[in-house]
Amino acid sequence: MSKIKYQIVATGFGGQGTVFLVKLLSICALHNGVECLGTENHGMSQRGGTVVTDIKIGDFYTPVISLAQANLMIGLHPEEALRVVQYLSPSGAIVVNAGKDFPKLNHPTYRLDAFHLAEKGVFNIQALNIFMLGFAISHVSDFPFSVREIEGAIYEINPKIAPMNLEVFHLGLSQSP
Amino acid sequence: MKRILLGNEAIAWGLINSSVDVVSGYPGTPSSEILSTYQFIQRQFNIEAFAEWSTNEKVGFEVAYAAAVANKRSCATMKQVGLNVASDALMSAAYIGNKGGFVLVVTDDPGFYSSQTEQDSRMVAKQARIPVFDPANPKEAYHFTRHAVELSEKFETPVMLRSLLRVCHSRQIVEIEEPDFKPREGKFVKDVSRWAALPRKTRLIQAYQQMERIQELTQYNWEKLIKPKTLGLKPGKLLILTAGTSHNFVLETMESLELAFDVLKLDMPYPLPIKEIRSLFDGYEMVLVVEETTPLIEEQILTSKVKGKLSGDMHLVDEMTNDKLLKAFQKIGVYQGENIYPNLPYQGEIPDRVPKLCAGCPHRDVYFALKKVFKRRAVYPSDIGCYTLGINQGVIDTVLCMGGSIGMAIGFSVAKIKKPIVATIGDSTFLHAGIPPLITAIYTKQKFVLVILDNSTTAMTGRQPTAEQSPQIDIKKIVEGLGLQVLEYVYENQMEKTVDFFKAVQKHSEESELPTVALVREFCVLDKPMMLEKPLPGQFATVDQDLCNSCKRCMVEFNCPPFYWNDNKKIEIDPNFCVGCGACMNIVCPTDAFIGDDR
Ligand SMILES: Cc1ncc(C[n+]2csc(CCOP(=O)(O)OP(=O)(O)O)c2C)c(N)n1
Ligand code: SF4
Ligand code: SF4
Repeated sequence: MSKIKYQIVATGFGGQGTVFLVKLLSICALHNGVECLGTENHGMSQRGGTVVTDIKIGDFYTPVISLAQANLMIGLHPEEALRVVQYLSPSGAIVVNAGKDFPKLNHPTYRLDAFHLAEKGVFNIQALNIFMLGFAISHVSDFPFSVREIEGAIYEINPKIAPMNLEVFHLGLSQSP
Repeated sequence: MKRILLGNEAIAWGLINSSVDVVSGYPGTPSSEILSTYQFIQRQFNIEAFAEWSTNEKVGFEVAYAAAVANKRSCATMKQVGLNVASDALMSAAYIGNKGGFVLVVTDDPGFYSSQTEQDSRMVAKQARIPVFDPANPKEAYHFTRHAVELSEKFETPVMLRSLLRVCHSRQIVEIEEPDFKPREGKFVKDVSRWAALPRKTRLIQAYQQMERIQELTQYNWEKLIKPKTLGLKPGKLLILTAGTSHNFVLETMESLELAFDVLKLDMPYPLPIKEIRSLFDGYEMVLVVEETTPLIEEQILTSKVKGKLSGDMHLVDEMTNDKLLKAFQKIGVYQGENIYPNLPYQGEIPDRVPKLCAGCPHRDVYFALKKVFKRRAVYPSDIGCYTLGINQGVIDTVLCMGGSIGMAIGFSVAKIKKPIVATIGDSTFLHAGIPPLITAIYTKQKFVLVILDNSTTAMTGRQPTAEQSPQIDIKKIVEGLGLQVLEYVYENQMEKTVDFFKAVQKHSEESELPTVALVREFCVLDKPMMLEKPLPGQFATVDQDLCNSCKRCMVEFNCPPFYWNDNKKIEIDPNFCVGCGACMNIVCPTDAFIGDDR
């Protein structure tokens, strides 16, 4: 496990909860005895601006993901996803909340129209971040943490709302692109 | 215990575990979580301490500094532009020194992520002649904070901890000790020749003492911090000197490019043992200095072998990245391989996502009404806070620095620009630096409108409380105390009323030879206690598609986040983001297309 090196860029706009994903995955790293670095945007970005967060799991030096290095991008909004594609390594995967008009890119892409699903009442839009994480884990084969480990971290972050978050996480897990 | 900590949390833990029991400062990204985390730990462990926000950074500095003069261990926190405000106190404190350990934590923001300048606070430390630590990550932030407290006590000098955005807001697993809080006793020992050293005689003595102190600190830096790291150096082609987060970028880029050069990290980039460091250059062909943001180290140790910002090999503006380093390696001729960090962005068009005032924010109504009443012709100096986002509504012409709106309004008035002047400022900003310029405006008889947008919180930086939480402190009374009548308006979601209020303000100003102060009592929709006390009215809006004639007015002048253009080129409101404030259903749309949404 200690040999693992995995870089995730998570992006969206202020209020969508990308920072929560950094917290969640760093808890998983702590319990796995793996090093982990994360960095996030605060300030103006909280007023609906672009938020980009980087998570690097394994032995790295800087928390900042460099151009063409990320293994995975989780895009909570199609435009924000397109804004950071240059950080993906050539084989890096895209997991994105987007409709059918999301352009074809030269990366393995797992697309889900989560806004549409939320409108239909499948899940609460407030939990989009956890929903998309669930979706990511069920499709990205080299994801560094197991469903179990994430469940544990969801519980640890906030036991009170964990049952609700776990339900959304499992809904995300069961979606197909 | 091992914990995942944000750099700012690590600094707070460093303070707690150094038994620092006086912390004061003024909020500002990326520094704000230091004090709030300290307060959190304080509550959690029932620690008796003073950890409070001050009205501005200068006050914050003075409070913490005086506590350290009175034998306490203390800390002042602020962002880099805040240090400009506190510098006056710092420059003198640096001569006088302190008894208990005193750490000045300043956070820098290369890349302008949430600051108006990219300034390097280490330069200020050098000017003040105080030592400065430059941590690379949260782990170091924790240890350097503790080190800074001890060093400050040992040498009786303020010590700066300069942290960067990529330390403050980065997360890492950090090993910290359990709190064992043993604060020092507060006591003030009179010594007029020290604590009240006057020019010229006694200050001159302190200046010589300061030179001696900095010599000793230089020696300390060499013996304790640098020399032990030089043992493994093996002279060759290139020696790289690093500091702070730049060290991480250097190690990561070298690993990725499979390069191996000697790297020497300088934990304390000022004061540097220049002779000793230069003597290390023997045997190397070149020395590259990698640091953020200004060439502080480079200027100190410069020789003909040194490459960096001054030689034009490293960037001068914007944040450090691995690709910039790769280019520097190419420029100085130590890397000829491919660019493993190609920049291949998406080629299609991506609309810019500009930050906006929150849905339901009363600031938006104020700017809408100002434009309606004072029109485009008026000149609008503004200030720094959430309300700066009024720029999206075309009602802000200048932004300078905190409090600058009023000083600039005076200058425009003095310049007789022949247009109405309407300045806007937030409550926290007014208390921070707005009062002295308002006094100046009154006794020099300047005519302009000053709108104080009072939401009783420091919203922009995460809703820290302002002085108005004390019942004694009321901006209205402050302004009245200056002899002005205050036109007060308690915000309502009826735009008609807001517009009428500003018409009255306009009339008042036309008849006055002095500043006209309008005080708008607002709230912040992100402030949970405030919203619990007085929730939004639940008046959700939708757009009557037949009435919307695509005139754009609502987008240009109001622009609430849920507004969007639908496929029929008409405005629609995204029900997921409308918070039901009801403000847009009155006057905002010229054809009254905004109507209630019965959900
Ligand atoms: C000298 C200085 N200190 C701190 C900051 C960080 N800062 C930006 S806006 C702001 C406060 C704004 O509060 P307020 O004036 O009440 O307006 P609001 O955000 O509540 O609308 C602060 C502290 C700064 N820009 N400059
Ligand atoms: S945080 Fe508060 S003050 Fe700032 S835009 Fe949102 S509602 Fe307005
Ligand atoms: S009611 Fe109108 S102004 Fe208020 S949040 Fe909804 S769309 Fe925005």
